[in-house]
Amino acid sequence: MSIKKIAPTLVAVAVATVLTACQAQETKTGSAVSGKSMAAKTAQSGPPPLAPLGAPPIPPDNKQTPAKIELGKILFFDPRLGGDASTGCSTCHEPDQGWAWAEDFSRGYPGTVHWRNSQTIINSAYYARNFWAGSVPSLEKQAPSAAKGGVAGNGENDIMESRLALIPGYRKRFKEVFGTEWPLIGDAWRAIAAFERTLVQRDTPLDKYLLGDKNALTEQQVQGMALFNGKAGCIQCHNGELASDQDYYNIGVPPNKRWEEDGLAQVTFRFELYAKGMTEEGYRTTKADPGFYFRGKNTWDKGKFRTPSLRYTAFTAPYMHNGIFYTMEDVVDFYNRGGFDEDGRTTAFAENKSKLIKPLGLTDEEKENLVAFLEAFSGEEMLMEKPAMPEYAPLFTRAELEAAQEEK
Amino acid sequence: MVVRVSTGRALLAATLGVGMAVTAQAASYPDIGPLPQLKVDKAKAELGKRLFFDVRLSGDAGISCADCHVPEKAYASKEALSPGYPGNGHFRNASSLVNTAHKNIWNWDGRIGTNLNDMTREMITEDYIMNMDMRIMQERLKQDPLYVKMFKDAGYGEPSNGSVRKAIPEYLKTLTSTGSPFDKGTMSASAKRGMKLFKGKAGCIQCHNGPLLSDLKPHNTGVPENFDVFLDPMNHQAFMAFTMFQGVPDYRNLKRDPGYFNVTLEKQDMGKFITPSLRELKYSAPYMHNGMIKTLSEVVGFYNAGGGKDRNKSKKLKPLGLSANEQKDLVAFLEALSGDPLTSPKYVWDQPYPAEYPVIENWTQVRN
Repeated sequence: MSIKKIAPTLVAVAVATVLTACQAQETKTGSAVSGKSMAAKTAQSGPPPLAPLGAPPIPPDNKQTPAKIELGKILFFDPRLGGDASTGCSTCHEPDQGWAWAEDFSRGYPGTVHWRNSQTIINSAYYARNFWAGSVPSLEKQAPSAAKGGVAGNGENDIMESRLALIPGYRKRFKEVFGTEWPLIGDAWRAIAAFERTLVQRDTPLDKYLLGDKNALTEQQVQGMALFNGKAGCIQCHNGELASDQDYYNIGVPPNKRWEEDGLAQVTFRFELYAKGMTEEGYRTTKADPGFYFRGKNTWDKGKFRTPSLRYTAFTAPYMHNGIFYTMEDVVDFYNRGGFDEDGRTTAFAENKSKLIKPLGLTDEEKENLVAFLEAFSGEEMLMEKPAMPEYAPLFTRAELEAAQEEK
Repeated sequence: MVVRVSTGRALLAATLGVGMAVTAQAASYPDIGPLPQLKVDKAKAELGKRLFFDVRLSGDAGISCADCHVPEKAYASKEALSPGYPGNGHFRNASSLVNTAHKNIWNWDGRIGTNLNDMTREMITEDYIMNMDMRIMQERLKQDPLYVKMFKDAGYGEPSNGSVRKAIPEYLKTLTSTGSPFDKGTMSASAKRGMKLFKGKAGCIQCHNGPLLSDLKPHNTGVPENFDVFLDPMNHQAFMAFTMFQGVPDYRNLKRDPGYFNVTLEKQDMGKFITPSLRELKYSAPYMHNGMIKTLSEVVGFYNAGGGKDRNKSKKLKPLGLSANEQKDLVAFLEALSGDPLTSPKYVWDQPYPAEYPVIENWTQVRN
């Protein structure tokens, strides 16, 4: 791919976008795909090109070790890291559902449904901030937020840490990895983050192609790539190694109709407005997910969500923050219409819709080529057997309890 | 005794009235006698009743208040230890809620000394009890048209957390003892002899006094630990989470229930528990904070022996020297303190709850 192929107007738009990003004072440190270097690059020459994915950034205060990764893997699959011991990380991030959940809204804690689409764990290590509105700055912060959220894990530190203390297998592993006499819940999140940093995919057809294997893409995919970088303008946001600029946009995704048809979804919708601190009037009148607005409470941020990576998307349908599109064809059609679904619906916050989104005028063949290229962002499906769970065991023997009773 | 509830003034008057008749032996203790009637707002109590039995007040919609406070057990727990929230167990026996509105301190360890509004919040939100984010609870209630109507009819406006914390206590006021032989004056000769022992030789009245037959104060009687708290990791995790949250030192190595120590963190309060009311004991077995004693005659036997073993044990306890017949009389008196079961639809919500949350029509047009 050549940068020169990008129309000059597009470059101007991209520069404007970068300026907006700077104004929003987004800091994206700690990532190989750092916003700073990206901005510098873009200012000179348009969006950074798609690139082979490098190794994920490892935070200096949470180094990878085999024992930590193994512990994190077990914890990731352990449903006891949730309120009623039925929901662990893998409950909404199932390996055989793309390390996500294959419905529009994530399944949520028992008795609830979530209100956003569960995102894949694959390559989550590269994001400088996690969640659709970027509400946490690291995987170490993402894990507790998910484990404790009322419509996610609904767990609390004291009960989850107590469970770990009563599982001898964990006591042993935490001591080996973290050197503590008792497992600490904060270390559980660190181990889970370390495990998640191993869930990366760097050998997709696209990576191979960009590394010089010109046979890695089909002719159709190569044509799709040209559209991606040119006429379709995808590269404006889906750029760089991750195929995401990690910035926040309102691209016109309409509200999920489930909020009009599903009582349980309506319960969660209002709860989220309440919990995330809407004004009274905002709580009464909002009928769509304000997304990035919750971060800074700026009205111009309503309906913005972080650009997701396009990697591994062959396995992560449905798409968008609210999962309203079940196929990549639907996604391409949505963009081709300029951010409208097939019924002509668009974002409830149309005043914030990105200027980058406009009708693309793609032919059927071009759309097919684009979809074919999007498949090149995914390699083999990454499946994983659930590890054996270490079991609870009493902490004290009856004899110890009897001795303590005698001493009372 | 001054019971600080909303009707405190009426209660105090009633207590004083009874106090006129105190016997010589028990002169220094508020006498036992009938409980005052509490004024109940019918619409609010009816709402509270529906809430009390509704599983949607727990995080995973798995349990209601009534799972630990079982109507047939005088609203106490069935087993020695309460079941707790799904995914964990519990470490104490849920107290009877009958007459709970007449108290001024709640929980075996007395950690709530304000009102039933706070107690309701504690039970609903604690992770090992009902683990409910009350913001989700509020939105669930707003999704149920009958609740919307009932909250409005009760004068609360739209369903809210705050109103739940008022309505449930209002319902709990309806759970007041009624029809006991003691209150009706229809005790057997044996029970009457038992009452005399209660106030005299057995010394029960030292702590079990006033209309509730409780001084609502913490005492250490040396009840043995229930080892199931520690031998079953499901119970132990609830205990550990609780003591961690309470700030109990070295909570992981603790092999006993600290009781009132939770509240004060003072050594002398280790193993103290609030004196329970003796009303409705006929229904509420097993007994003690951890359900360690199964029958009333065993309870009497326990006190006849001077209580259990604990260096911190109350000085009020010493071997009583009661004969077998005297113990029987005492049990007869304790049984006479139980009234009619509060299990009819007057007290129990017996209508089905909707299986799903109905959708709010024209959702985009109406205000949330």
